Amino acid sequence: MSSEPRAGAGPRAGTRGKAASFLGGHWIYLFLVLEVIYFSLRTGGFASLNALQILLYYGVQVFLLSIAELFVIATGGIDLSVGYILGFASIISIKFMEWMAPLGLGEPLTVLFGVLATLVVGLIPGLVNGWLVAYLKVPPFIATFSMLGVCHGVSELIINGVYAMGLPKLAADIGSGHFLYVTRGLAPSFFSRPVVDRGVKVLEIVPDIVVVTAVVVCILAFALGRTRFGRHVYAIGGNVDAATRAGIPVKRRLLGVYAMSSFLASLAGIVYAFMYVSGKADAGASLLLDSIAAVVIGGASLFGGTGTVQRTMIGALILAVLDLGLRMAGTPTFDKYILVGVILIFAVVIERYMPEARK
Amino acid sequence: MNGQSAAAGAAGGFLETRAGRALASNWAAFFLIAMFVIFSMTSGSFLSIANFQNVIHLQTLPFLLAAAETFVIITGGIDLSVGFVTGLASVCAARLIQLLLASGMPGAQAVSLSVAAVLVLSLLPGLVNGLVITKFKVPPFIATMGMWGIANGLALKVSNGFPMTGLPDRLPEIGNGYLLYVMPGQFVSFFAKPEGFANSRIRELIRLLPYSLPFILLVLAVLAFVLRRTRFGRHTYAIGGNVDAAIRSGISIDRHLILVYVLSSFLSGMGGIFNVFQTGIGNYTTFNAQYEFFAIAAVVIGGASLAGGKGRIWSSAVGVLVLAFLENGLAISGVQPFYRYIAVGVLLVVAVVIDKIFPDLR
Repeated sequence: MSSEPRAGAGPRAGTRGKAASFLGGHWIYLFLVLEVIYFSLRTGGFASLNALQILLYYGVQVFLLSIAELFVIATGGIDLSVGYILGFASIISIKFMEWMAPLGLGEPLTVLFGVLATLVVGLIPGLVNGWLVAYLKVPPFIATFSMLGVCHGVSELIINGVYAMGLPKLAADIGSGHFLYVTRGLAPSFFSRPVVDRGVKVLEIVPDIVVVTAVVVCILAFALGRTRFGRHVYAIGGNVDAATRAGIPVKRRLLGVYAMSSFLASLAGIVYAFMYVSGKADAGASLLLDSIAAVVIGGASLFGGTGTVQRTMIGALILAVLDLGLRMAGTPTFDKYILVGVILIFAVVIERYMPEARK
Repeated sequence: MNGQSAAAGAAGGFLETRAGRALASNWAAFFLIAMFVIFSMTSGSFLSIANFQNVIHLQTLPFLLAAAETFVIITGGIDLSVGFVTGLASVCAARLIQLLLASGMPGAQAVSLSVAAVLVLSLLPGLVNGLVITKFKVPPFIATMGMWGIANGLALKVSNGFPMTGLPDRLPEIGNGYLLYVMPGQFVSFFAKPEGFANSRIRELIRLLPYSLPFILLVLAVLAFVLRRTRFGRHTYAIGGNVDAAIRSGISIDRHLILVYVLSSFLSGMGGIFNVFQTGIGNYTTFNAQYEFFAIAAVVIGGASLAGGKGRIWSSAVGVLVLAFLENGLAISGVQPFYRYIAVGVLLVVAVVIDKIFPDLR
């Protein structure tokens, strides 16, 4: 579980200026602002409602995965399987809806049951992860890497080498739909695009899936920051022995955390299916770096016990701004990987040398 | 190998016996043999020299990466960057060869110069990893994950996102060459196919001992020697076993860790160069390749512990072979290759559970 930091690895004791401490706690906000200013100056159109919505729309997977990763990392673990659970969920959600389509339930019920079934099945990888980690004492790295392989294998077996397709139209509409449509001369319309003549401009505000993601993120921020469950998560990551002595049901909590991680990854997978109208096994393969990086940039320690949803979201936003900014500036996305790597290391170094003053 | 561990007692009587412990400490090797038996029965063409040579030839890169990872994991660290450093070395070598050829340098010279240059360059990612880990106290997971991104981005930049072609045809001939070519009853030829040999009859030709075999055996033997018989190796185990005791016994931890990460990226770079010779093109590493994860899996299946202090080069090599023959055997028996991913997951958990039951093996 949580391995102790190596001797001498802790922040150096000594006097720290208030400024350094403040910077250590707030540099990510500053960085995000500077990043936005930089890209706004560099590319026209970056500072616009449209760009903001695109940024949030294409960022939802990383937002959800990084929160999943945050809970696991706060317990001192790691979840490598989230990316492939996402792929697995994107496939089975479509398959469930395909199977239910001939039953004649109608599209809304088919989509609803498909989503619910996927979320339930999506708990299984996390429950197995949690069981391996909490009860068999398998290191999280190994347990979740094994699950990565199993999810990859099972996904490929289900789709047999092609993409999963055949999503009901309603689901695709939700995936590309917006919360609010504003048209000049018409009353604003919620959730459904008004029928207008060609050429009439409809202002689309907040994609549906961003609304869903925002609600989920708020609930999780509450769960980690304000509930007993959240306190237990931090306690386990801080010192697992002390947590046990304090009567916290460590094994059950770990099971819950890994299950939640895979639940969130499944939700991200469903959202992926709705957005891209297809499911594939490696849909989330490249998101692992981003999701762990967001948590680490947000100031969480891999040794556990720290990290908040708010700061993780700032970390994820830093990555999302970087991604969109570079794309809009016409730079090949290759640069993004380099910069993410550099920022990742930089974030840890800053946390080491400018630790935030503890309350 | 003596003493009764309480955990072993809980695992039942047989596991406490000498035979039981021998089985547990070499389970990967026994599993490998069992696979040979099973796959020989499920497929007629599994048990053949050609197939075995192919599997081992194709595993040259995984062998190198697993050896690299063995050193790092013994120190209690992890190196996630090996796969993308491999890709970076591969595309850098290809780019250099292209540039030197374009400048009019003869092929052999251009290739050897590029290989030497890339081997030196491949020390850099490890040096950065090591410095970041020791001087800035960044956890190895994060530091090498950062390098994961950096090496990947650089490789994509160098290659522009496409495999790099236009290298001399001699490269894959060397990379996929054999020491011995035998035509039963007609001729034996060393190092190359006989002149004028018709490609249409290539299937009758028996090819023995790919160059990659002596190469990888030599590299692994040297590394195994370094790990088991030299001070460098003893220090590696000492750091992983108990870092405080290692500090007290006067080992320069930082310097040693930097060297271990440099060795790791050097071996990855070597793997990248081999990749150029094997495929004849420069390849960046894709996310799907997951070289680093399979290398770590091989090391863990070979009996190393991610907590450090345990692991052996040859055991990791057995781990690589387990993964390789699993894939090959399943494919050759006509089973969906995807079961391999699932099997790897199960094997890893088995490895760790055995490690938990017998904490004092090795």
